Amino acid sequence: MDQKNKNSKKPSYSRFSQQELSAWKPILTPGWVIASFLTIGALFIPVGLVALSASDAVVEIVDRYDEECIPDAYSMDPESFIQNPDIKKTCVRSLRVPKKMVAPIFVYYQLENFYQNHRRFVKSRSDKQLRDPEANNDTYHCFPEARTSDGKPIVPCGLIAWSLFNDTYKLSTRGKPLTINKKGIAWKSDTEVKFGSNVYPKDFQKGGLIGGAKLDEKVPLSEQEDLIVWMRTAALPNFRKLYGKIDTDLEAHETIKAEVENNYNTYKFGGRKKLVLSTTTWIGGKNDFLGVAYITVGGLCLFMAINFILLYVFRPRRLGDPSYLSWNRLPVA
Amino acid sequence: MAASNRPHPGPSFQSPGSAGPDLSSPTSSKKSDNSQIANLHPQQRPDTLQNSSSQLSISSNSWRANSVSFGSKGVRYGSRGGAESEGFSMSRREINDEDARLVYVNDPLKTNERFEFAGNSIRTGKYSVFTFLPRNLFEQFHRVAYMYFLVIAILNQLPQLAVFGRGASILPLASVLLVTAVKDAYEDWRRHRSDRIENNRMSSVLVNDRFQHKKWKDIQVGEVIKILATETMPCDIVLLSTSDPTGVAYVQTINLDGESNLKTRYAKRETLSRVPEKDMISGLINCEKPNRNIYGFQANMEIDGKRVSLGPSNIVLRGCVLKNTDWAVGVAVYAGRETKAMLNNSGAPSKRSRLETHMNREIILLSSFLVVLCTIVSVCAGVWLRRHRDELDIMPFYRRKDYSEQEVDNYKYYGWGMEIFFSFLMSVIVFQIMIPISLYISMELVRVGQAYFMIRDDKMFDAASNTRFQCRALNINEDLGQIKYVFSDKTGTLTENKMEFQFASVSGVDYSGEKTEYFGEQGGYSIQVEGQVWRPKMKVQVDRELLQLSQTRNDMKSKEIYDFFLALAACNTIVPIVVNTSDPTEKLIDYQGESPDEQALVYAAAAYGFMLIERTSGHIVIDIQGERQRFNVLGMHEFDSDRKRMSVILGYPDSTVKVFVKGADTTMFKVIDKSLNLDVVKATETHLHSYSSIGLRTLVVGMRGLSIPEFDQWQSSYEIASTALMGRAGLLRKVAINLENNLSLLGASAIEDRLQKGVPEAIESLRTANIKVWVLTGDKQETAISIGYSSKLLTSKMTQIIINNNSKTSCKKSLEDALIMSRKLINVTRASDDDASYVALIIDGTSLVYILDTELEEQLFELASKCAVVLCCRVAPLQKAGIVALIKNRTDDMTLAIGDGANDVSMIQMADVGVGLSGQEGRQAVMASDFAMGQFRFLVPLLLVHGHWNYQRMGYMILYNFYRNALFVLVLFWYVLFTGFTLTTAITEWSSVLYSVIYTAIPTIVIGILDKDLSRRSLMTFPQLYGAGQRQESYNAKLFWLTMADTLWQSIVAFFIPLFAYWKSDIDSSSIGDLWTLAVVFMVNIHLAMDVIRWTWISHASIWGSIIATCICVIVIDAVPVLPGYWAIFNLASSGLFWVCLLGILVAAMIPRFIVKMFMQHCKPCDIQIAREAEKFSNRIESTRNGEIEMYPPQR
Repeated sequence: MDQKNKNSKKPSYSRFSQQELSAWKPILTPGWVIASFLTIGALFIPVGLVALSASDAVVEIVDRYDEECIPDAYSMDPESFIQNPDIKKTCVRSLRVPKKMVAPIFVYYQLENFYQNHRRFVKSRSDKQLRDPEANNDTYHCFPEARTSDGKPIVPCGLIAWSLFNDTYKLSTRGKPLTINKKGIAWKSDTEVKFGSNVYPKDFQKGGLIGGAKLDEKVPLSEQEDLIVWMRTAALPNFRKLYGKIDTDLEAHETIKAEVENNYNTYKFGGRKKLVLSTTTWIGGKNDFLGVAYITVGGLCLFMAINFILLYVFRPRRLGDPSYLSWNRLPVA
Repeated sequence: MAASNRPHPGPSFQSPGSAGPDLSSPTSSKKSDNSQIANLHPQQRPDTLQNSSSQLSISSNSWRANSVSFGSKGVRYGSRGGAESEGFSMSRREINDEDARLVYVNDPLKTNERFEFAGNSIRTGKYSVFTFLPRNLFEQFHRVAYMYFLVIAILNQLPQLAVFGRGASILPLASVLLVTAVKDAYEDWRRHRSDRIENNRMSSVLVNDRFQHKKWKDIQVGEVIKILATETMPCDIVLLSTSDPTGVAYVQTINLDGESNLKTRYAKRETLSRVPEKDMISGLINCEKPNRNIYGFQANMEIDGKRVSLGPSNIVLRGCVLKNTDWAVGVAVYAGRETKAMLNNSGAPSKRSRLETHMNREIILLSSFLVVLCTIVSVCAGVWLRRHRDELDIMPFYRRKDYSEQEVDNYKYYGWGMEIFFSFLMSVIVFQIMIPISLYISMELVRVGQAYFMIRDDKMFDAASNTRFQCRALNINEDLGQIKYVFSDKTGTLTENKMEFQFASVSGVDYSGEKTEYFGEQGGYSIQVEGQVWRPKMKVQVDRELLQLSQTRNDMKSKEIYDFFLALAACNTIVPIVVNTSDPTEKLIDYQGESPDEQALVYAAAAYGFMLIERTSGHIVIDIQGERQRFNVLGMHEFDSDRKRMSVILGYPDSTVKVFVKGADTTMFKVIDKSLNLDVVKATETHLHSYSSIGLRTLVVGMRGLSIPEFDQWQSSYEIASTALMGRAGLLRKVAINLENNLSLLGASAIEDRLQKGVPEAIESLRTANIKVWVLTGDKQETAISIGYSSKLLTSKMTQIIINNNSKTSCKKSLEDALIMSRKLINVTRASDDDASYVALIIDGTSLVYILDTELEEQLFELASKCAVVLCCRVAPLQKAGIVALIKNRTDDMTLAIGDGANDVSMIQMADVGVGLSGQEGRQAVMASDFAMGQFRFLVPLLLVHGHWNYQRMGYMILYNFYRNALFVLVLFWYVLFTGFTLTTAITEWSSVLYSVIYTAIPTIVIGILDKDLSRRSLMTFPQLYGAGQRQESYNAKLFWLTMADTLWQSIVAFFIPLFAYWKSDIDSSSIGDLWTLAVVFMVNIHLAMDVIRWTWISHASIWGSIIATCICVIVIDAVPVLPGYWAIFNLASSGLFWVCLLGILVAAMIPRFIVKMFMQHCKPCDIQIAREAEKFSNRIESTRNGEIEMYPPQR
């Protein structure tokens, strides 16, 4: 029929071009509103409770040692203590296990007020160099720790590697040493791909200023797990880094002797150092926040459900009632 | 009576100038004459007068000798103008020395020697190949946003500030610039192409006494040009001579003002007999500087030592087409860009939508937020640096000192002040998307999508003219949803501009009974001429009884009918033109004239057997029932607005003389001798009333025989009047008034200017939608009012205020009176609330001359804003624009102008939204418009449906984009507070760039194009829903602040839940960055999903698709080993904490919004909400409520 008028520019009909595509047009009726509040409430409160109990199940020992491990003679000037290589830095701490801790027990060092997310710090690394032995010279972003004074590239370069944490811990209980397993503390992806197994440290920590730990030049980077852990820069200025794992359970009320080699200089900028022993659950470490937050949100939703029920009961409005239209409501002025 | 009518022999702009030997309108002629004489030739004054009078006496001799031919012409000159046009003359400047342009006829060298007149080549293209890049970039960077992003991109290139990589920082801006540049280049290429075609057209130009072909672009001012029939004028030309011995040229001005009928232009008598090739024509034309007034021209010409004045009827403008005249010769006075057509073309300002203007205001707010954020960061950074100033040197995560060189030096540290400054700039770079650049691209894409839907809407397709809706401007779609004033042209916009003869009342008998088919009995009236069949081009329905009576010729009754139709056929200025058809034995007669009413009458007369077949300046030939008769036209008094009638004096073959008069009933009944036949007069009045009450345009026809002494007396006074130097128009009017009396009534005619289909309903809808409809027309008042009634614009209950004044003081007084009256009316009838409280203002162009651009404007505005309806009649094009400006400059209300002719161009360009009708008249209005369509009634779906949707969509999209970008920036900002204020981003650089390009861009565009808050049906049924746009419900300051508050909350949730959940844990920044990225992207998409009203499969695909796309992108980015965040997402997602966090963020972020939305929906539902519910649950409502009376509120 339409063929007879070929010249017609009449737009061809389609549901799309006429904006008549079939569509689902949900309208949130009071029933849906109340139901959704109730659902959220019913979901969130149990999850919150589970999270709280999980957090509660975590046993955590935190010991701040940076101040205590300074001999009294140096308490006014801790920096001269920490910077003096001739003084023995070992310091013994004793930790008490509050509850039974089931293996694996994670040993962390916790640094506070240490801005591992500082822009200068974060940028000062070369991921290419870490991975590829050919890319030793890729130190463009590594300043001020890029090259030695005679121009040789430092591997691994950059501030991050330079400032590698170098306190060490030896734990023992009842006179028996507790072995801290330092294998497998880094992400598998990092040891396998990101850090090259044929990249070896070169000219590291040879400059005028020693920032932290030294690396064994015979061990490839992919096996320097402390470095790998350190180089996953923390998101926040107060952070933990995994030091190792203890694969034996610790009984409650046990006392653990910790020999701390206090080498790392946080005194310069008012940072704090803590030794942490913690178990984990599915929610991670000890943290009540999420549980509380979930319970709060769930509770609020239940409260709102009640409010809306009351609102719909005492101030009902029939959906689509034309008498609520503005031109019906107001007499024309 | 308001609805009475008469045809208008001249279109509105037939203004003052005259072709005669003197100036026409008394006031202007006196003034300009004096001043010219005083300025230019003080000593010649007596001579000049002497000259003209002697010349006049010669012409009066020639009139005696050839009284017939000159007579009609003389009248033509004389009665043009008059009172109606005095307004124009007053507003015109007189020609001073420094304002003058001197054109030496046929001497282009001398003409162009002193003055730099523009050549005739035109150039509408903006760029050339070489200037394109710099100029286009320059123009693009006029957008503040582009400038801003350019600056940011440049800043980012400085090594001290490099936050992002080079590519990542430039990519977004570069792609926007490229897309826009390609679009601009294409548009400009099309302009260049049309310029080239135009410039290379050919015309014959007199060179060395021979006419040679010359390209248009080479024509110069001063050259003599010859135009043949159907050729187009290359420039503005003063006529010198034409093929017609009396110097008449017919032109069609369709390209200029859109009117398709023929207009007459005249060559001066002093030049019309010259043959340019033989007689050297030399003269000096002293004319105005180029101006935009296409209906005004003032000049004088010195030729052979005589000075003759030139007016608008002596000039033919560029773009006009010569018709029905073999050739015309003229001298170019304005060329190229100085032609009136081009001057009227230029200067179309690019429009920016109201929403975008408001948006820019909010963008300024956002930029101040940005400055605040950056200031906070930089101040904190300063404080931090100061507090740690002693530690910075070797602090492990700062290490100011570089020990690698021998000389220990500061590394990347430029002093405390500079560090603060740099951190400010860096934070600008990091937070740059606070100002949403992608919004500009999104808006353009959304508008393209909206335009697509408007163009493809089959409800806006005009089958009659086979035209689709056209979207010419792409940046004001959403303005269509906020219109408060519609300014409409009348003829061709509200009406079809096709006059049709309907009824006749002859001698008190109403022939409005049964109609036959179009053709009458023998297939329409036709005549035989030399073996050919001639028939009128247009068929008219005829009344059977009247047709039979008109064919008989014996009784008294048919004598009256004979006179009636003779009057219709003769008393006009129509020129019949014989047109060939495909059938060689058949020809059509096309009646051309300036008044469509007269055309309709002549066609009607032809249908009844009175076929006008020839009109020259001295006689007419009418074929009456197969018998050809020739009548001498002894004189003609043309229409003027005082008399509101015209008359023609016919000399019959038997040398009797009769005067036929036709005119508006108001003035006709005054001059009809009622003593003759009172019953007939009474009956006719009744018929007129019934005709006009159904919106027909009525005319009364009368006639009187002239005795020889009467004729002689008239002839001598006519001769004196038409040759008078001063006040000729007035004198001629007096002569006409003396002649037109004691008429016997012949009858009345009723013509229908058919309203376009659906116009009354459309106007009704628009007014229900609270849109004020004003009609601005060049037509005369009576016509305008009658159309007002038939289109339901005016109702009989309305109080009409009519302002028709000739001076400023009287205008002032009328306005004051009207204001008092309207206030009173509104106060009195406020309580009663019926139509009587509505005031209709009717004002004419002459009054507007005194009001617009003076202090009276304010009063007019006040009055007009109190009126429900405003009708402006007899307005010139620029006045139309002035009226639009009156509203536009004083209120924030959006204005829309709709028209079809070139005389609407200025108004279309002035209004916020210009709509052109592509119908009968030319393309000029369409070319100037933002939107073009085929019918007035499409305005309703355009505004109520598409405008509403466009506005809702765009308003929501802008707010959403603000929210989306601000949310991201705030999340970045919170993190900066925990990094020692050093602008680290946990979110990867690539996610930052892709955030507004891939992660969240598509859903907002798709929803902006596709989402519909209400169905077309609801919007059309309840025009009041349009109020949402007028009240700016979708986008306003309150919504903006609410959105920002919501954004703040959501950003806090998104940032701090992970922060506290991972507090003092071993989380690394890449992992938490991925969590924030996903949380923010999920949030903005779910936020959008909560606001989507109609879920089509496309909406589903885009929203869920972009969430999936984001996940894929995050995974891909984390799978690049050389990026610090390698494999972070996999480690993250394998922990339960991540999922609990994500769910908690999404729910906690949305809850306040959900609560507020549901609460508002229930307690303060907006109209749209209710209509949506009604749409969905209408069945339920109809079953519970009988009828929908309440759904249809009382109409205003």
